[in-house]
Amino acid sequence: MMKKILVIEDNPMVIKSLEFKLKRDGNNVIIANDGREAMKHLKETVFDLILTDLMLPFVTGNELISYIKKNTPDTPIIVLSTSTQENIIMDAFNMGVDDFITKPFSPNELSLRVKRLLG
Amino acid sequence: MKNLLDSQRENATVILVESNPLEREKFSHISLSEGWRLIICEDGLEVIQWLNANSNADLLVIEEDSTPISGYQIADYIKSELGLAMPVIISTGEIPIVQERRMLAYAEAILKKPFVESAAILQIRKTLEKSIEVSPQQNDYYSLNYLNELSGGDQQFIQESIELFSATINSELRNLKEVLNRKDYLRIREIAHGIKPSFEMIENETGRGICHLLNSDAKETEMSSLIEELNLEFINIKNQLTKDFPELNFR
Repeated sequence: MMKKILVIEDNPMVIKSLEFKLKRDGNNVIIANDGREAMKHLKETVFDLILTDLMLPFVTGNELISYIKKNTPDTPIIVLSTSTQENIIMDAFNMGVDDFITKPFSPNELSLRVKRLLG
Repeated sequence: MKNLLDSQRENATVILVESNPLEREKFSHISLSEGWRLIICEDGLEVIQWLNANSNADLLVIEEDSTPISGYQIADYIKSELGLAMPVIISTGEIPIVQERRMLAYAEAILKKPFVESAAILQIRKTLEKSIEVSPQQNDYYSLNYLNELSGGDQQFIQESIELFSATINSELRNLKEVLNRKDYLRIREIAHGIKPSFEMIENETGRGICHLLNSDAKETEMSSLIEELNLEFINIKNQLTKDFPELNFR
């Protein structure tokens, strides 16, 4: 059974890369380009894993994390961050995210971390 | 470009996995006549050991039913696990078309056996050329190493990604100029933060550095000149891409 992964990200090149790698690893990938689109998906579907950027248009990453933790607390979350966001990443961990990956991600590292969280 | 292709073809390192001694001999003869450096491996495991010890080759030609690991599995392992963009040709006897399609999901081409010299040379030259097309000469403005590693050398993905780079940065530079006119410095920092990974993915250090400054340390008075520098760097990247990929559409 393919695992359903929601990717919330607004950089088109990062989206394309994540989609390519995650699909090649055998997952079903759904993309949301901003926080509002992500909320729509989250209200309609339960995902096996969520990868999210933190700086998003309309609804911020932290707001999304709060929503996910409140409604589907067992869904693992990986934060997509950049190297200069240490404080923001710490805040996200305090909110209960499971892991973070720095953009641009290492392909093998992404596969390993995703596999680990999907069990 | 023609001379570059010819010289790269001649110096190509080709790995062969072929259990039939007669076919192996034929291939050795072809390699000698084409000036390829031929590495013969007993099986896929030996190929992986060779690649681990020698970093990379230009092409692997491997039997479909190689044991203990099939040609498909080795092709997949090389691309997804070792992250190498090395093209793979699977050699096989007569097969149905449906099966051919399956093979091409893993490898760049199929080579029919018994090897026929002219057909083998043509197919291998074509595959090497394609591989060189997506590996342009090293330049100061971009590198495809990361995209190659990520996609296992998937040419369509690489070409679409660089088109996307050009279109996105073009549009975001226009946005940067607009928000600069409005003196919306917070938005400038957000846009720079958003596009920084794009420069990192094509390994352009200048673009990455400027985005980093705009996103973090730059004073408001410095932003105009930094955006202008970023624009110039983007023009240089785009000119180089247009030169290397004349068939693509760069906006």
